Amino acid sequence: MKPLKNAVETDNLRKVFEIKQGLLRRNAKTVVAVEGISLTVPAGQSVAFIGPNGAGKSTTIKMLTGILKPSSGTASVLGLDPWKQRSKLVHQIGAVFGQRSQLWLHLPPSDSFDLLAEIYGIPKNDYRKRKALLVERFDLGRFLSTPVRKLSLGERMRAEIAASLLHRPQLLLLDEPTIGVDVIARQNLRDLVCEWNREEGVTVFLTSHDTGDIESVADRVIVINHGRVVLDDSLSGVSANTLIEGKPAGLEEIIAHLFNSAASLTMQNCISPS
Amino acid sequence: MWFSKILSYLRLARAYIKLNWSMQMEYRGAFVSQALAMFLNNGTWLAFWMLFFSRFPVIKGWEQADVVTLWAISAAGFGLGNAFCWNLHNLAAMVSRGELDVWMLYPRSLIPHLALGKMSATAIGDLAFGYFIYIVMVRPDLQHFLLFNLLVVAVAVVFIGFNLWRGSLAFYFGQAEVLSEQWFFAMITFSTYPNCLFDGWMKVVLYTLIPAGFVSGLPVEALRDFDFSAAAFTWLGALAVLISGAASFELGLRRYQSGNLLGMRS
Repeated sequence: MKPLKNAVETDNLRKVFEIKQGLLRRNAKTVVAVEGISLTVPAGQSVAFIGPNGAGKSTTIKMLTGILKPSSGTASVLGLDPWKQRSKLVHQIGAVFGQRSQLWLHLPPSDSFDLLAEIYGIPKNDYRKRKALLVERFDLGRFLSTPVRKLSLGERMRAEIAASLLHRPQLLLLDEPTIGVDVIARQNLRDLVCEWNREEGVTVFLTSHDTGDIESVADRVIVINHGRVVLDDSLSGVSANTLIEGKPAGLEEIIAHLFNSAASLTMQNCISPS
Repeated sequence: MWFSKILSYLRLARAYIKLNWSMQMEYRGAFVSQALAMFLNNGTWLAFWMLFFSRFPVIKGWEQADVVTLWAISAAGFGLGNAFCWNLHNLAAMVSRGELDVWMLYPRSLIPHLALGKMSATAIGDLAFGYFIYIVMVRPDLQHFLLFNLLVVAVAVVFIGFNLWRGSLAFYFGQAEVLSEQWFFAMITFSTYPNCLFDGWMKVVLYTLIPAGFVSGLPVEALRDFDFSAAAFTWLGALAVLISGAASFELGLRRYQSGNLLGMRS
């Protein structure tokens, strides 16, 4: 099979939700969650996809995984149409939603892993080797047989990420994977994601409100606000090329500045590039 | 191709049953008490009908044995359909809370995978109750027992399809939990009353909008008269309910809006 050049390609991707109100006279109001996003993410790249609450990050990720049907525009993920070929696509992606677990609360991670192997149809021998590797690398041995409800959040997230890597995905989507996790566990998770990106060439698509996650994991930063891309640059480029009011600024300051800007303002308007 | 796909889903079903069973056994006391409570609840209702038929032995051709058969088939069918497909019972709530996200990230057909995802202890109580009263009170011969099994599966299919109908409401109305629940109670009520009590337009409703006729009508006739045509119509009705339920789910899925609630699988 020819290796893919781009893991993600979107063209003018848009999602509009309709809200109807009133009992007899129905007033329809439309809310534009994603307003024409066009992106290209080369295979193997680590991308931080960030924005304030309600910016359209999760909606975009849900369209890229086939959970939501785009209102218009096109998306191609690993060469597949997410909405039309969801079942085929999800074989090749791993997803971790910090707010939603794929592990069973009352069972140990080991049982959830066994079930996931069955769901993905991983041959028994492959599964045994892969599980052993992930248990060792994510240091899951101590709590592999402990019910998930008794794990700390850091332990649970390690198990979540390991679970999402069982079937050797080509693309890993991480939606706020470090939410609520303490400083040490957070760094640990970031290191593991970086290792996997380097060693297996997994494309990483990360959303997070934590600039530490972004600085540790990402090669490239895409900032969206009000459903539009307002900044797309390499991680080093963002800090090196951007001045706020004539002064150099850290990533957190730049992002905060962008979050506070009105939707219609472009980068040139709100931040003076050096 | 189809055969290997079916085998793969059977293996998945086995894995889910094993996992769900482990989970139920984590809280063994709760499991046993829930199953037992449902057994006793059904027993109370049956006792009421037994008392009723002891005062009025024949109502429109129905006798005490028929009402026992009715309770056996409806409890066992409901139990089978829900014991291993409990997520569909809560489908409307899952859709409106955006809980389908996790299930859509797996490379399996959404309906069977979602259906198999959760077991119900109370429904296992219903299943046990249905078989218990049929074997102990009706004392069927082998042929009737085999036909009973065939019809229990058909009734389970009716309940699975019906759960898809009412759960899919949430795609179209957004918040449909109350409506879905009311529809469910109507189905349960009419599935546990002798079908002979209803005539005219109500009969039409019981084979369409509230498909309880495929639970409390045709299967009882099939077993009482050992009538294969009634059994065949039960199966046809069950498949029609299932197929239309699956179609309304798949069409509704296009309108799915997801959500952002925190959630764990339990």
